[in-house]
Amino acid sequence: MIDINAWTGHWNTLVLKGDVDTVRHALHRYGVNQIFMAPLDAAWCPNPHLYNDVVYEASDRFDDIIPVPIIDPMLPTWQKELDRAIACTKVRLIKLLPGYGGYDLAETDHVLASVGHTDLGIITQVRIDDPRHQHPLAHVPDVSVSSIVEAAERHPGLPIIIGGASTSTLKSVNESLVTLPHLYADTSQLDGMDAIKILVEDGLLSKLLYGSHAPLFMPGASIARILNDLDDAQAMKIMRENTERFLNDGY
Amino acid sequence: MTLSSLREQLLPNGPVLDIHVHPVQCFGPYAVASVQEDVRWLTESAQRSGVTKMCIFSLYPSTPYEPTPDQCRQANDYVLTMRDVAPEIFLPFCYVTPAYPDEAVAEIDRCVRGEQMAGIKLWVARRATDPGLNPIMDQAVQLDVPVLQHAWLKTTGNLPGESTPADVADLARRHPDAQIIMAHLNGAGLRGLEALVDVPNVVVDISGGDPETGMVETAVARLGMDRVVYGSDAPIRHFGVTMNKVLGADISADVKQAILWDNAARILNLDARDRIQND
Repeated sequence: MIDINAWTGHWNTLVLKGDVDTVRHALHRYGVNQIFMAPLDAAWCPNPHLYNDVVYEASDRFDDIIPVPIIDPMLPTWQKELDRAIACTKVRLIKLLPGYGGYDLAETDHVLASVGHTDLGIITQVRIDDPRHQHPLAHVPDVSVSSIVEAAERHPGLPIIIGGASTSTLKSVNESLVTLPHLYADTSQLDGMDAIKILVEDGLLSKLLYGSHAPLFMPGASIARILNDLDDAQAMKIMRENTERFLNDGY
Repeated sequence: MTLSSLREQLLPNGPVLDIHVHPVQCFGPYAVASVQEDVRWLTESAQRSGVTKMCIFSLYPSTPYEPTPDQCRQANDYVLTMRDVAPEIFLPFCYVTPAYPDEAVAEIDRCVRGEQMAGIKLWVARRATDPGLNPIMDQAVQLDVPVLQHAWLKTTGNLPGESTPADVADLARRHPDAQIIMAHLNGAGLRGLEALVDVPNVVVDISGGDPETGMVETAVARLGMDRVVYGSDAPIRHFGVTMNKVLGADISADVKQAILWDNAARILNLDARDRIQND
């Protein structure tokens, strides 16, 4: 199984054990054997690039950890940080956090175009935590999913994952997910009765990628929403095969 | 690890009582043509995640924040019919609004005394500090049924009539003989949970919000293993996602069983209820 959306680090509103070893062990308990890991502390850092070392070092220690560095397109050093990602053969994906970087994806075309000339894909995080639960002095609204779809339309060859969207948010862009060949979504924040079963019935089986959102969310919950409602073949598409195809999209 | 063994790991190894479920008609993802269809959607989904019994309460199909007594009555008739269709699965709760205390008391009499509903449900018409709740709580004590009170602590601001955990604690102190189930552990969060620590007649259900790491462990540590119960809030949330907050928690098997069955069975007097039904 491949987890396309895991993290390591701390979070301001939860008491978490988010160190690399703990996250890795928690996911192994459920049979996850490839972990795409991004640095959680980067979200709140004025220069998120400084936290990318954490996941590069983790990937040096463990073969099953694939680093997902955060790139902030508003920082003047974004190209250098992207070049670092390109130079690391294990990196397959970079992550954008527009909500925390305080930028609009429409302002990032220069970065998206540059990534488009590489073998890398992009995951753009819609939300990390429920706005109703955020610290009262640190509110970060969800990223507009339509801004991600529009970016995918402007860069049709670039593999893009909508990360951390809710079920209703994904339903609102169902048609775009079906028609845009390189646009995918992760499952990390899909909730509600039969949520993934219904998205599959709506034609998204080939576009959903398993994501745990560990350590913020519990890995068992992230898998139950898939495995309890789907047969083995459908589940394996979401938990492995679609991600392998996405990763090959860039080549 | 095989998929088959992973599937087993995600399911309970005993019966599970879900204390917080709504009909699909209220918040569900499907258009419902009949009560029978509602029962089928809900039970099939619940059983895939290992849920055995469900406390069910309707908030009326359009889920108004300020329901009329007639809307409450229709909501209650709906879940009574669900119980008629699947009596071994559904334990209906009586939905009332403290905005109409006299009508609420009459409806509780009809549904709990008359129809043996298992509890009372309060939502967001009035905060739990409102005196309109007093006659409802008095009758709950008299009829020996629990009251499930919705609560959240939203940093974006609660609805005008939406209770906070502190409001629920106030209610519990005003009515120390009442058994209160506060909904939405993850809605209360680490801060809201503290309001309940010294209020022994409140248990918390684990529904509401996302499956955040550590919440169930914290609830058990702060309230004790007897004061935490499984509730999914389906169909708003997924039965199995919420259940795996418990199955995946760093707590003993005994504590998991207490949360998934024993505590709710005790609060609902399930043994006595089953004996009456069998007689």
